[in-house]
Amino acid sequence: MKFLISLAFKNLTRYRRRTLITAGAIAVGIMMFIMIDSMLRGAEYESVRNLKWYETASARIYNSEYWENRHQMPLDINITDYKEKVQKLEEKGYTAAPRISFSGELILNVIDFGEDGSMPIEVTAIDPQRDFEVFHFKDTLVEGRFLQPGEDGILLGSWFAEDIGAKVGAWVTVVTRGNGGFYQSMDLEIVGILNCPNPNVNRSLLMMPISTASDYLEMEGAATEINIRLADNANVKAETAKIKSITGNNSLSVYSWEDLAFDFLAIAEAKRGGSSMILVLIFIIAAVGISNTMLMAIFERTRELGMMRALGMSDSSIRLTFMFEAMGIGLIGSIMGVTLGICINFYVVNVGFDFGFMLRDIDIGYRIQSVMRGVWNFDTTAIAFLAGIIITTIVALLPTRRALRMDIPSCLRS
Amino acid sequence: MIKIDKVIKNYQNGETEVKALRGVSLEIQKGEFTSIAGPSGSGKTTLLNLIGCIDKLDLGEISIKGEKVSSMNKKEKTSFRRQNLGFIFQTYNLIPVLSAYENVAFVLSLLDVSEKDVHTRTMNVLKEVGLEGMEDRKPAKLSGGQQQRVAIARALVKDPEIVLADEPTANLDSTTGEDILKLMKSMNEKLGTTFIFSTHDPMVMDYAGRIVLLHDGLIKSDKNRR
Ligand SMILES: Nc1ncnc2c1ncn2[C@@H]1O[C@H](COP(=O)(O)OP(=O)(O)O)[C@@H](O)[C@H]1O
Ligand SMILES: [Mg+2]
Repeated sequence: MKFLISLAFKNLTRYRRRTLITAGAIAVGIMMFIMIDSMLRGAEYESVRNLKWYETASARIYNSEYWENRHQMPLDINITDYKEKVQKLEEKGYTAAPRISFSGELILNVIDFGEDGSMPIEVTAIDPQRDFEVFHFKDTLVEGRFLQPGEDGILLGSWFAEDIGAKVGAWVTVVTRGNGGFYQSMDLEIVGILNCPNPNVNRSLLMMPISTASDYLEMEGAATEINIRLADNANVKAETAKIKSITGNNSLSVYSWEDLAFDFLAIAEAKRGGSSMILVLIFIIAAVGISNTMLMAIFERTRELGMMRALGMSDSSIRLTFMFEAMGIGLIGSIMGVTLGICINFYVVNVGFDFGFMLRDIDIGYRIQSVMRGVWNFDTTAIAFLAGIIITTIVALLPTRRALRMDIPSCLRS
Repeated sequence: MIKIDKVIKNYQNGETEVKALRGVSLEIQKGEFTSIAGPSGSGKTTLLNLIGCIDKLDLGEISIKGEKVSSMNKKEKTSFRRQNLGFIFQTYNLIPVLSAYENVAFVLSLLDVSEKDVHTRTMNVLKEVGLEGMEDRKPAKLSGGQQQRVAIARALVKDPEIVLADEPTANLDSTTGEDILKLMKSMNEKLGTTFIFSTHDPMVMDYAGRIVLLHDGLIKSDKNRR
């Protein structure tokens, strides 16, 4: 055994260049594996964070009938006396923020926007004091100021502002139907612009104070939703059940961020499937490389093989020798690949790649505005390392089998 | 020791059948130094391969040390070769990445030999074949004659009963070839190992104790020179 291993490793030095090229191909595969996995994990990690921070919070309370009708954004299916409910939640240690979400029409005037125009919109009315406790818009202000309670002001997402050519200080009109179906129009001043890292939000965000909306829409102390922040390590399922019991009200339902973001999670799942196909492809290419190299190695050594077999070396020992040899190539490839992968990952994690040019206008599902960054993952690195060695070792078996099928006199004659 | 009984071996060469051995019978005693002579294509290699248990005969029987070769399966043949047979080839067939020492010790690593014994036996046999001090050289750093000496050491290190050599001198110039034959002969005398080697070189005849002349797959003559 010791002899077989030492022979296998000495054979590696026979064609150093070929060994290195094959190991290099494996290394590139492993490096790509580490890099792609890092980026996908990073994108998902950041997306989930940006979902929770800017879109779904950790959990949300709706009127039990709201979910089915959520696309119409009805105001009459609501949470009555939200202040009392928020207070109850806060007494139990939860951080909660009420919101009124509604759809309407945004009217732009010729004076501020150069031409008259209108477009369908969705508006989020927030409690300026509480909302920052649950969501993370605090650091996103790029122009103007935040909302003050009760004012006729509105905040815009920076991409949305850019799209309609909005400036701080301009006035817009929001036309909608109030609670009960009456028409209402609100003249609101743009007081600030937010650059939200979640592109889906930044593309469409309109925010106004909940008290102002409540007055205009005659909500009578009701909100459409209450958002709740949980600690990062919280057990979301257990917490939603607890929240449900605190509300003590059968007409209300609690949804976790996973319920709210089910479409994102489905897309992420599909992406993972697609990307594992890419990884399989990378490994197939590496496997073809190693199998070709081993085939050449075995072909060139046919007579030597014949000699060893004539001298009484068993087939299994010969197989083992070639497996060790392939394992050696795999080991070199894996070490190179993991080293390269870690080096590249430093860049991927700390600097990342700027896909802003693409993500500005195309929604790829990920909640990332521009820079895609990776994350470190020990498991992936370990799996890549082992896969490099195991796959090469197994792939070497095929050409070895071919060599062992040849009879010994033919081997010796070649 | 070796009994060859009416052995027939045919090869299929595409459509045509090549009759390599057409009924060869031969008995070889322990300690003989036998040359299988004959022109190219006469069946020398075929016969040696059959005795060496690396090829299958079509008809007849070969028994070595009382064991019928045809009744052994592949595994048993491998093990039989490992235990009892030494091989020397025309093209030396040394492993280029191994030193002279390792090329010889390799054979013992296949057997149940302690590490200490591997060392002493390998060093001894290398000394016997006149390669003392060259143990660490790779084959590329040795002359043809020296490489064949390594091969002889490799064949002898396990102290086999039979050594088979297919044209061991064909790749060497005549003086070196003669040296190799002398070495083989002296080992045969010293150790009592049975040597069977093929050749088509008339010079070889001077050393052989017995010359079996093959022609077209048949034994034309069998002369004992003692
Ligand atoms: N594997 C083979 N396939 C077909 N013909 C073969 C094969 N091996 C040997 N022969 C033929 O058998 C005959 C004897 O060959 P061989 O034993 O190699 O003779 P020698 O060693 O005396 O030169 C030759 O005609 C050769 O062409
Ligand atoms: Mg021949």
